[in-house]
Amino acid sequence: FMKMTCTAKGITLKGSAELVAEFFSFGINSILYQRGIYPPETFTRVTHYDMSLQLTTDPKLKNYLTNVVSQLKEWLFECTVQKLVLVITCLETNEVLERWQFDIECDKSAKESSAPREKSIKTIQDEIRSVIRQVTATVTFLPLLETPCAFDLLVYTDKDLVVPEKWEESGPQIINQSEEVRLRSFTTSIHKVNSMVAYKRIDSV
Amino acid sequence: MAEGTDVEWELSKENIQPLRRGRAISALHQALSQLQDGDTSAINQQRQAFESEVRMYDGDDPLDVWDRYIKWTEQTFPRGGKESNLTTLLEQVVTKFTDEKKYYNDPRYVALWIKFAENCPEPLEIYRYMQVQRIGETQTSFYIAWAEEYENQGNCRKADLVYQEGFKKFAEPQDKLLQFHKALQARVSRQVMMHVEEDDSDDEPKQPERVSLADLKHRGKKKAIAPINRTGPAIRNITGGLQSCGAPVLGSVSNSRLMVFDENQPHNVAPSEPKLEVWVPPPTSRAKENEQKTEKWCDVKKSKFGHTVMAPPPPKPTFQPFVEESDQPPTMTPCKINPAVNTVLSSRKPCREETPLKRLQEHHQQQKQAESGKVQEQSMYCKELLLSGATEFCFEELHAERYFKRVAQEVRGQQDGASASASN
Repeated sequence: FMKMTCTAKGITLKGSAELVAEFFSFGINSILYQRGIYPPETFTRVTHYDMSLQLTTDPKLKNYLTNVVSQLKEWLFECTVQKLVLVITCLETNEVLERWQFDIECDKSAKESSAPREKSIKTIQDEIRSVIRQVTATVTFLPLLETPCAFDLLVYTDKDLVVPEKWEESGPQIINQSEEVRLRSFTTSIHKVNSMVAYKRIDSV
Repeated sequence: MAEGTDVEWELSKENIQPLRRGRAISALHQALSQLQDGDTSAINQQRQAFESEVRMYDGDDPLDVWDRYIKWTEQTFPRGGKESNLTTLLEQVVTKFTDEKKYYNDPRYVALWIKFAENCPEPLEIYRYMQVQRIGETQTSFYIAWAEEYENQGNCRKADLVYQEGFKKFAEPQDKLLQFHKALQARVSRQVMMHVEEDDSDDEPKQPERVSLADLKHRGKKKAIAPINRTGPAIRNITGGLQSCGAPVLGSVSNSRLMVFDENQPHNVAPSEPKLEVWVPPPTSRAKENEQKTEKWCDVKKSKFGHTVMAPPPPKPTFQPFVEESDQPPTMTPCKINPAVNTVLSSRKPCREETPLKRLQEHHQQQKQAESGKVQEQSMYCKELLLSGATEFCFEELHAERYFKRVAQEVRGQQDGASASASN
């Protein structure tokens, strides 16, 4: 018996779920660093996807993210997750300032036992890298977050799913009067992730 | 939206100046595509409309036009720079309303002053001037901008004093001032904590100073040499802005190859007796391509000649140059120099001593003189109107504006008359 996740030649459902979960782990860390939600000195630099990325060293946050990502991986494997949303709110007023939305399209025909798909991990990682690069580049148009902010992760799943412990149901937390910018997407050929950022519309022009 | 058209902002991300309030993505797309096509006619038209509105406005809130004009400029010229005329506009607007006391605590006017200060080489001087003139005295935004400038320069104590001043003057909104002051205190205390930790572990500096490989070249006649090492206040932290606070680590300390002799170090025990060293002539350098050994010139085969002059190839670098593994050719950032900008006659350069602040003070003095009747010059034409925008108007443009206004009024009048007669 060999624990096969993914080989260089193709990708299985399990491998795909792992890759996408990994993307969210790095992606969320990256956004939290870029947008200054946590102080920069609580991050450490690692190299992944052939690029340098920031990972949090804050034990609480690390624990929280590990929990979310491992739960997410399960849902990805079951193909029951529809989207993940990172909401940034003002700590004082609870107003939603920024909303990072990742829509996930699952190919439900993929089963654990089915043959690996023809897509190399390298190609997928290249796609992921350009998504993260673009996330970094969004500072060129996003407004400065002037007040202390908090963040929240929302996961949209299929309706009939039991809510696990420590998770609670919530509203969509939409920004009214927002600008929306669609970012790049990537696909593992089993899961496709479309990214988008929404922020408060400025009142001029 | 298709993905292909969306990547334009990413390709020019280095050329987009971040704005505090963010950018409208539609305006950004429009500006970038116009920049790429080189088609500036739409922009010029809008600018002309603003220019004439600035001159022809006769309501009771002239600042409004300026405010909209400047916001439009910021969004339309993502690269900033000379063609946007932003600096000129800001200087014009702050100078224009120095007599309008009613604007002194208008958030819009204060915001324009802050933008003006940020575009100046010495923002602190501007803020001090504002304080003396009592501009923005009760505006929280003024104290925040001032304190942040101090903080950027590594002077957290002064920044704190600025906030104290704000509290004393009861700046509004007060909770915002309080919040920003708290944030500053939190950053300072975190900074102190980190310094304590660093002293314990004695690590290398966490944020290495950047050393570029080559000097920056100067342009034009001026011989300004930009420093290679970024040190002290030149390093700006994006979020915290505090990393460089306190004792800045000089770049030369961490980066230079120069060894500094320290007499207090116990390891460097001076040799008890001078060692006798055989004097060795320095090795002849081989890499000098211009030094040529004397040799016979006639009857020399060409190939041999070539060989002797050839310098040895430089040694291979010991490091692995980073090559991106993507198969696509690198995408170039599109860059076009707008031919309309390169006019033959360049505008007169301001004198070296002339700073925006000095011009402002001069203007102030001139006005005082005019009030006291000591004025020497008097222009007998509407100079103010011609020169009030970012670009100069000619008489005909003003005439045309007035003419069109009159025609529009007449037409409206006729219509009203017609409708009135019809109703009768």
